[in-house]
Amino acid sequence: MTIRLVGVSASYPTLRVIICLKELGLPYELEPPASYQSLKDEDYIANKHPFGKTPVLFDGDFRITESRAICRYLASKYQGKHNDTILIPNDVHKAGLVDQFISYELSYYDPPLLKIVYQKKFVKNFLNKDPDPEIIKQAHEELAKVLDVYEKLLEGKEYLNGEYSLADLVHCPGTYCVYGAGHSDLWDSRPNVKNWWNRLCNRD
Amino acid sequence: MTIRLIGFPFSGIVLRVIICLKELGIPYELDPPASYKSLRDEDYKANKHPFAKIPVLFDGDFKITESRAICRYLVSKYQGKYNDTILIPNDVHKAGLVDQFISYEFSYYDPPLSKLLYQEKVVKSLNRDQDPEVIKQAREELAKVLDVFEKLLEGKEYLNGEYSLADIFLCPNSYYVYDAGHSDLWDNRPNVKNWWNRLYNRDAIKKSFEETKSFWENNPKF
Repeated sequence: MTIRLVGVSASYPTLRVIICLKELGLPYELEPPASYQSLKDEDYIANKHPFGKTPVLFDGDFRITESRAICRYLASKYQGKHNDTILIPNDVHKAGLVDQFISYELSYYDPPLLKIVYQKKFVKNFLNKDPDPEIIKQAHEELAKVLDVYEKLLEGKEYLNGEYSLADLVHCPGTYCVYGAGHSDLWDSRPNVKNWWNRLCNRD
Repeated sequence: MTIRLIGFPFSGIVLRVIICLKELGIPYELDPPASYKSLRDEDYKANKHPFAKIPVLFDGDFKITESRAICRYLVSKYQGKYNDTILIPNDVHKAGLVDQFISYEFSYYDPPLSKLLYQEKVVKSLNRDQDPEVIKQAREELAKVLDVFEKLLEGKEYLNGEYSLADIFLCPNSYYVYDAGHSDLWDNRPNVKNWWNRLYNRDAIKKSFEETKSFWENNPKF
């Protein structure tokens, strides 16, 4: 039975799961919801996501939500089944460090990224208002400090944990969004970060 | 070689790891930093946590940071070695759902809880005035999340049916906010209230909070 993914590919949490599915060579069907408003319907909340969000993944009768949890589940169940790609190493110490880098992404990297995405995409496109330049400026500075740390963490390494892993993958969609929205200097002005980003973008 | 945990036991984030260590029966040494300021030293950032945070765990030469990653590592390596406690189920589907609930905690529960924690604990300790508007909005946001939890806990003792890491992550900061005059948020919802009582009656959780109290008694400067 094919995996069903409820979400829109333009949403970056959904894109995380799409990249993961492709990396693991898993066939799937994408099922966009009728509209953004439909996520708040009683039926959606009861049968798909109790907080009215995407993505939601159905693997047969099994339903799971939250992009990072979905990716971990897919890696746990399917890694090595369709191809050789390793997203979570089998060694417990290496896997621990992948988890650590995933936590850096959600704790330090994603918050300023999300603020910029919210201002430049959501506020502009959905609320028809002007983005707030002060929020964008502060988020840009916050992200710059985080990328200074990443510059050191990537010293002598191709990927965050040495080899490509789920930790790098989770960073991709949000980065792609903000990089393309006029903030490319944040990544391009740091050599290790720039090389890491180029490597990620060149993956099939 | 004993596990070394760097952090202050009164920090909700460090308490997650302490509860996990106690639940799995793993011996450890707590190594509190000299002060919060010392976390910003170049030496700390280079050798302990690049973002100048706690906790940091050393297992022999292996270093790992970030409380949720540390707990997952401890479970992967030590679950079943010292006792029978299961914090992440072996079944891939059940484990997936534990991960999902861990993500709910991070994405929806923690943001309003952290705002309340900041107002009730940090702002007061800095001798500033609390912001009643922030408290009101955070309470409303947390109330909506707890309404969802009330449904999720229907017919269940814990978030994923059986006790798991997902329940542990919610504990510590919840306790501080509960105790700071917001207990109604949990007590007004029967499923949530029962879950709460069950959690706080667990040995590992009780002992973890005792360790916090004893630390404060012996280190009044904090």
